[in-house]
Amino acid sequence: MIEVSDLTKTYPGVAAVDRISFKVEKGEIAGFLGPNGAGKSTTMRILTCFIAPTSGSATVAGFDVVRQSMEVRRRVGYLPENNPLYTEMRVEEYLQYRARVKGVPRSERQKRVDEVLERVSLQDRRRSIIQHLSKGLRQRVGLADAIVHNPEIVILDEPTIGLDPMQVREIRELIRQLGQGHTVLFSSHILSEVEKVCGRVLIIHRGKLVEQGTPEEIANRMMKTGRVRLEIRGDGRAIKEALDRTPGVARILWSSKGDLNTYIVEAADGKDLRGDLFRYTASQGWEVLELSHERLSLEEVFTAITETAARGAGA
Amino acid sequence: MSKFAALVRRELGVYFVSPTAYIILTALLFISGWVFHSSVESFVSNRLPSDYQPTLLFIEVVIVLTSALVTMRLVAEEKSRGTLEILLTSPVTEAQVVLGKFLATLVFLAFILLPTVGFAIILARYGSVDFGQVFCGYLGVMLLGAAIYSIGLFISSLCMSQITAGMITFSLVILLVIANLRSMNLPENSFWRQLLEWVNLGTVFGDFMKGVIDLGRLVYLVSISGFFLFLTTRILETRRWR
Repeated sequence: MIEVSDLTKTYPGVAAVDRISFKVEKGEIAGFLGPNGAGKSTTMRILTCFIAPTSGSATVAGFDVVRQSMEVRRRVGYLPENNPLYTEMRVEEYLQYRARVKGVPRSERQKRVDEVLERVSLQDRRRSIIQHLSKGLRQRVGLADAIVHNPEIVILDEPTIGLDPMQVREIRELIRQLGQGHTVLFSSHILSEVEKVCGRVLIIHRGKLVEQGTPEEIANRMMKTGRVRLEIRGDGRAIKEALDRTPGVARILWSSKGDLNTYIVEAADGKDLRGDLFRYTASQGWEVLELSHERLSLEEVFTAITETAARGAGA
Repeated sequence: MSKFAALVRRELGVYFVSPTAYIILTALLFISGWVFHSSVESFVSNRLPSDYQPTLLFIEVVIVLTSALVTMRLVAEEKSRGTLEILLTSPVTEAQVVLGKFLATLVFLAFILLPTVGFAIILARYGSVDFGQVFCGYLGVMLLGAAIYSIGLFISSLCMSQITAGMITFSLVILLVIANLRSMNLPENSFWRQLLEWVNLGTVFGDFMKGVIDLGRLVYLVSISGFFLFLTTRILETRRWR
């Protein structure tokens, strides 16, 4: 549905987007994740034909964003960052206008507008002037606009920014529902959000795509260094020194509460140390309360990736 | 076509939900009404035949001086609010957007001119009015308006803030109004003098006001409109190759 290859957008002195390639399949909800200024909006603006790439190519629904821009625009629903709206208009009037501009035939227009109003639960606000609506409701107007012409692809740029937790949950639920009939690409700098809604995550940092895959895939790939969590009762320092001598152990993080010690053991070469550690601790006769594989949360992965990338760029 | 009509309608709607239309309409009716009244009074006391020209002249002056108010928001506001992004990612061409905005300003102009025709009708009731001349006058106002609005639209497309766009447009309009002041000390028939006389809005309007449709002037005003509409379209398109 969306195919991007070697996409680059440079502004004088900076590469906002640097040779990005990815694919989003039909019916997928893909999350674009990255810190502010990573190039998410720029990429989305290229995909929606607002700006043109410096080099590389992108096709949306099989049409090139530069050469077949009209075809792309007909098939894409877009909610830009900060949700710009003609705030002096009334909700229904605005959606009617947008439907008309997007070429929804007259006979279907009212039906479509009613449908999207219901979908975003704004039926009882259809006569309200947009300016008088709360931020969350305005965001729903923006979403309604994005889907009013029933596009194949919906592109949402930071749809939950600046909303309160309740509103964030509503919008997230709406996005999930959108995924049932549309291909959705949405961006966020909040990880938990992407993790909850998306089937696939694209992590972008300083204009480069640094990781992509399902949240689990990414976490697994990042677990090159196996980490084991151990909880042992006993003399913390002695145990740590003993563990340090165990072959294959690269680093140990130790914290204790009374005689209860927690160790995070990292293996050097990505080896699974659980077996070795079990045998060793058993042979020592320690009171082991827990021995588990420590999973990295996407949050940690995200931090690790962006930090690594930042170090790479700095070097 | 329906898309285009939707664009025009929205643009037009903005004038009437904001105070712009009412401010300009008030200024126009007040000033032209005043001039109409005093001119009729002076015709009567001097036993001169009635004439609609003074009223037409001041209608033109008000339209020219308020043009910045009409055009400054057209593109600049969309830029600063970010709505340009939703507009230009919709399946409409830049030319449709520009023409839609331009046509909306012309419809707006026709709309605010309409009540002033009442003065001509009142005059016709008590004296003789050359309606051919009146028609020429209004045609002149419309053509002049079209030219200035297209320049204003172009300036608006260059600016991020509508205030900046308004100030630049207004300064430019003033410059065109007083262009012939400078020309007076230039030697007769010199190129600059002729040019300044030619672009001077008062001179341009003079013929129309007298009931003369000069083909040269007509072509001049229409080409200015066309030229600046073309430039505006290009400016909107440049965002895609910057």
